Amino acid sequence: MVGPTASISNLNRADGSASFKCPTTGYDVLGAVNAPIELPTRRDALKPEEATVEVFVKPGTTTAGVGERYIEGILRSVLGKVVLGREKGFPRRGVVITLAIVGGGNVERGDSYLTILPALLHTSLLALLSASVPLSMTFAATTLGVTISNEIIRDVSPRGAKAAASLHALAFSSKGHLLLNESQGRFDFEIWEAVREQALFICQGAAVPSADGDVAMDEEADRTHLDGFIRETVEDQIHSEYNWKVDSV
Amino acid sequence: MTDRRRINGPPGGTRPAVYASLLQSATGAADRAQRQRQPTDLRKIFLKTGLIPSASGSSYLEFEPSASLAAARANPKSLIPPSSALKLACTVHGPKPLPRSATFSPNLVLTTHVKYAPFAARRRKGHIRDASERDLGVHLETALRGAIIAERWPKSGLDITLTIIEAEDDRWWGDAPDSHDASWGMMNVLAGCITAASAALADAHIDCLDLVSGGVAALVSEDMTGSSGPPRLVLDTDPAEHRSIVSACVVAYMPARDEITELWLKGDSSKAALEDDDKRPGHEALIDGAVDAARGAHTVLGQAVRESIARTVGSA
Amino acid sequence: MASATANAPPSLSLPPSQFARLQPHAYLLAHLSPPPASNQPSIRANGRAPSQFRVTSANAGSLTHTNGSAVVRIGDTAAVCGVRAEILHTDDIASWSVSESSTAASTAKHQHLADLSDHPTKENKDVDQDSDAADDEDRAHVQGLNLLVPNLSLSTGCAPGFTPGAPPSALAQSLSHQILSLLHSTRLVRADDLRIWYQPPNLGPEDIEPHNEDEQMDVDADQSGSAENRQPREIKAFWVLYIDVMIISLAGNPFDAAWASVLAALRDTKLPKAWWDVDNEMVLCSDDLTQAYGLSLRGLPVASSFCVFEADAAAGWRAVVIPDAGEQKKGSQSRWILADPDGYEEGLGQERACVVVDKDNDGKGKTVIVKMEKHGGWTVDSADLRQLVDISAKRWDDMKRILDQC
Repeated sequence: MVGPTASISNLNRADGSASFKCPTTGYDVLGAVNAPIELPTRRDALKPEEATVEVFVKPGTTTAGVGERYIEGILRSVLGKVVLGREKGFPRRGVVITLAIVGGGNVERGDSYLTILPALLHTSLLALLSASVPLSMTFAATTLGVTISNEIIRDVSPRGAKAAASLHALAFSSKGHLLLNESQGRFDFEIWEAVREQALFICQGAAVPSADGDVAMDEEADRTHLDGFIRETVEDQIHSEYNWKVDSV
Repeated sequence: MTDRRRINGPPGGTRPAVYASLLQSATGAADRAQRQRQPTDLRKIFLKTGLIPSASGSSYLEFEPSASLAAARANPKSLIPPSSALKLACTVHGPKPLPRSATFSPNLVLTTHVKYAPFAARRRKGHIRDASERDLGVHLETALRGAIIAERWPKSGLDITLTIIEAEDDRWWGDAPDSHDASWGMMNVLAGCITAASAALADAHIDCLDLVSGGVAALVSEDMTGSSGPPRLVLDTDPAEHRSIVSACVVAYMPARDEITELWLKGDSSKAALEDDDKRPGHEALIDGAVDAARGAHTVLGQAVRESIARTVGSA
Repeated sequence: MASATANAPPSLSLPPSQFARLQPHAYLLAHLSPPPASNQPSIRANGRAPSQFRVTSANAGSLTHTNGSAVVRIGDTAAVCGVRAEILHTDDIASWSVSESSTAASTAKHQHLADLSDHPTKENKDVDQDSDAADDEDRAHVQGLNLLVPNLSLSTGCAPGFTPGAPPSALAQSLSHQILSLLHSTRLVRADDLRIWYQPPNLGPEDIEPHNEDEQMDVDADQSGSAENRQPREIKAFWVLYIDVMIISLAGNPFDAAWASVLAALRDTKLPKAWWDVDNEMVLCSDDLTQAYGLSLRGLPVASSFCVFEADAAAGWRAVVIPDAGEQKKGSQSRWILADPDGYEEGLGQERACVVVDKDNDGKGKTVIVKMEKHGGWTVDSADLRQLVDISAKRWDDMKRILDQC
C-alpha cells in the first residue's frame, strides 16, 4: 500500500504552508496559514482574549458551496481547540487557514465530505506547524468505511464511499484523545468501537504514550502509522532547513 | 443561475403541478369560495406577543380561515385549497447601536424587512426578496415611522422583520387574471404586517404615539363584466371570495389621534354603490371603510398588548 | 475563581439574571456543582437535568399552500417546514437518455416497488427488502437528479445576530447541507414515490377503445394482472420536493428542531396522482384527495444534539502541555454533557456531539445509529458516546410518540 506524501513550506508568501497527497483516495490538498494577522473587517467577531480561527476551503474546479461551509465549520471547531489562541500576540488576532483541493474528485452536491476530511486536517496541521503557530497537540486523522459484510476498509475513495454501509472519519490527538468523529450510514455501536480501534491503530500504531508523555518510538513502526508520518515530515523539513548548521559542525 | 449559498434544485428547472380538473373547467365550475360574512363583518384575528424570546419584541398574527377553507379542512376532498388565511411572525430587534460605518443620525433608524416563506403563496417564492416584498417593506416603514417617537433614541437602529408563513390569495384560484387584476392579496398582507409590527413594537417597549393598526376595505363586483350595477363596499375582503375587486384600500390608522400614517389605494374607485343619502365620493367611502376595519383590528391589538404588559409586570 | 463564585450566591447583591450575564461560566458551574453541604442536586441553570431535553411539540399540516408542512417547537426554538412538490420533466434533464428510463430489464423490479408503494401502510415492514440494485438506482435518481432540495433560513429575525435580507449565514448553509446529507445518507425518501410513469397503450385488441380520463389514472392499479404482454413503462417525469425550513425562533440547538420539522413535514406530505397526458404532452395531476398518496419513508431517524460544558475550559490542554496538571482537583466532576443545549449553554462550550438514531421494526427492533458526530474538544470518548447513544434511543421513543400524535 502506498502511503501519503507531504511537503512543508512550499509557498513563499504565506506564513506557513503545506501540501498533502493521498494516493489511495487521490486527494491532493494545498494549504496556507497566515497567523497571527489583523482582521480589520471582522472586528465585531473577534474575541478579546483568544485568537479567531478562520478556515476557508476551496474546491478544485468549482466555487465553494454549501458543503464547503459545513466542512469549514468542522475544521474550525477542531483546529480552534488545538491552536493555543491565548499565547502572546494571538488574542484579538486571526489565524487564517486556506485549503485548496488541488487534485482528486469533486465532492458532489449533498455528497459525503468524510473522505476528504483527513487530507484537509493533515494539510492544515502541517501548515500550522510550518507557520510556527503554537499548538497544544498534534493529531492524525483517517477515514474508514464499513462494507455491508461488516468489513472495515482503509482510506476509502469517493467511489468506495458510495458502496459502503457506513463511513467514519476519526481524528486522534498525539496523546490518544478522540478529537473528531464523523460517522454516517447505518451501523451500531459495536461496529463503531471496532472502527475506533482500527483508526487508533492507523493513526498511532502500536505505540502507547508512556507516563512521562513521551511516545516510545520504534523506527520500524514509524512508516506505518500517520502520527509517525507527520513527525517524520516535520523532522525532514527541519533537517533540511538546518543543513548549513549541521554541515558547519 | 445557481446560488452557491443555497442548495439548488435540478438545473433544468421544475414546473408546478397542473391539475386536470382545472384544465377541463377553466370557467371555475367547482365550488367557488363565497363570502359568508356581512359586508361590514371582520374576520377574527389571532394575535399573540412574546413568542420569540431572543428578540426584544415579537408577535404572531393569524387571520381566521374563511368559511370555505374551514369547511375544506374539516372535510378534505380536493388537494386544491379554496382560499388561504394570513399567518405571519414579526420580530423587533433593538434599539441597538448603529454599525460603525453608519453616518450619524439624531433619530432612531428604522429598518423594515418583509419576506415571504417560499411556501407562503400558491406559486413558489424565491429566496431573494422580489420587488413586491421590497414594496411591502417600504409601505410598512412609512406606516410605522409616523407612530414611533424616533428622537428618543439617537444613534440607534431598530430592525423589524416580518416572515409571511402563509399569504392571502390575489383572486380565486380558478379565475384567470382579468383587467381589474392586481396583487390584491398583498394589501391584506400589509394590513396584517402593520398590526403585527405594532404589537411587536409595544412588546419591545418602544415609545409610540399610539398603537397603529391596519385595515382593508374594497369595492367588489360579483360580476366580471360589471353589468350588475356599481360595485359594493366590503370591509376586510378575502380576494378569493369575490369575483372581481374593482378597487381596494389599506390604511395604517391611529385611533387616539384619528390619524392615518399610511394610505394605499389601488384601482378605480369612482363608482360605488352606497346608500342613497350617502353623498361621499367613492374613494372617501373606501378610506372610511378601511379605517373602520382598522378600528376593529385595534381592539385585538389592545388586548394583545395588555397581555404583553401583564407578562412583563408578572415576571419582574 | 470557580470555587469562589460557587460559594458567592448567598452574598450576591446582583439579581441572578444579571449575574448570569456577567459571569455566564461561573453561573452555570455553580448550578451544576452545588457545594456538597447544600445537598442540592446538580441541575442546569434552566432547571433541567443534564440529560433532559426541552418540552417538544409538533403540529403538522396547518399550512394551506404546501404538500406537507409541520411546525416543531423544542423549548423556545421553533422551526416551520413546508414541502412543495414540483414536476421535473425528463425532457428537461440534460443527461437523461431513454435507456435510463429503465425499460426491459428492470421493469419487473419497478413493478414490485410500485406495488409496494401503493400500500404505504404495510410498507414499513418491508424496509430492508429492497435489493442493492434498487438502492443504487434510488441513489442515482434522488441524489443524481437533485430531487430533494432542502434549504434552511435563519434570516427571519429569529435571533439578534442574523441580519434579515442578508444571504444565508455560514451556519444556515451548514445546516442546509447537514439536512441534505442526512436525507441522502438515510435514503429517507424513496425514488419510486417520486417517479411519474407512462404506460404506452398496448394497441392490443382490448385496449383499442378510447381512453377516458379515469382509466388513464388507473393505469397503475390494473396493470398487475396482465403485466407480461404490455409495453414497457417509461419514466416521464419526477416529483422534486422543495423542503424549506424557516427557523422562526432560535434559542439553541437549531439542527434538532429543523430535522424534526423536516421529518414531520415529509410524513405529512401528500403527492397528487400524476400521469403523462399524451394529448397535451405534459404531466397532469388529479386534485382528488382519495387518489393522492403519502410518501413511504424509510424509517424515522431522530436527531439529538449535545454540548459539553467544562468546569475549567483550559484544563484539557493544560493537562497535555503540563504533564502534572491533570493530577490536580481529582474527585470533583470536571465536565457535563448537556442534552439539547439552549442558546446560553451553547455559548459556553465548544465541544458538540450529535447522534441520529433509528429503530428497526417500528421501534421494537434494535437501535441503529445513522449519524454520529463529535468535534470541538477531546473530552468525549467511547464510553460517553455509548451513553449518548442510549440517551438518543430514549429520545427516539419520545419523538416517535410526539410525531405520531401530530
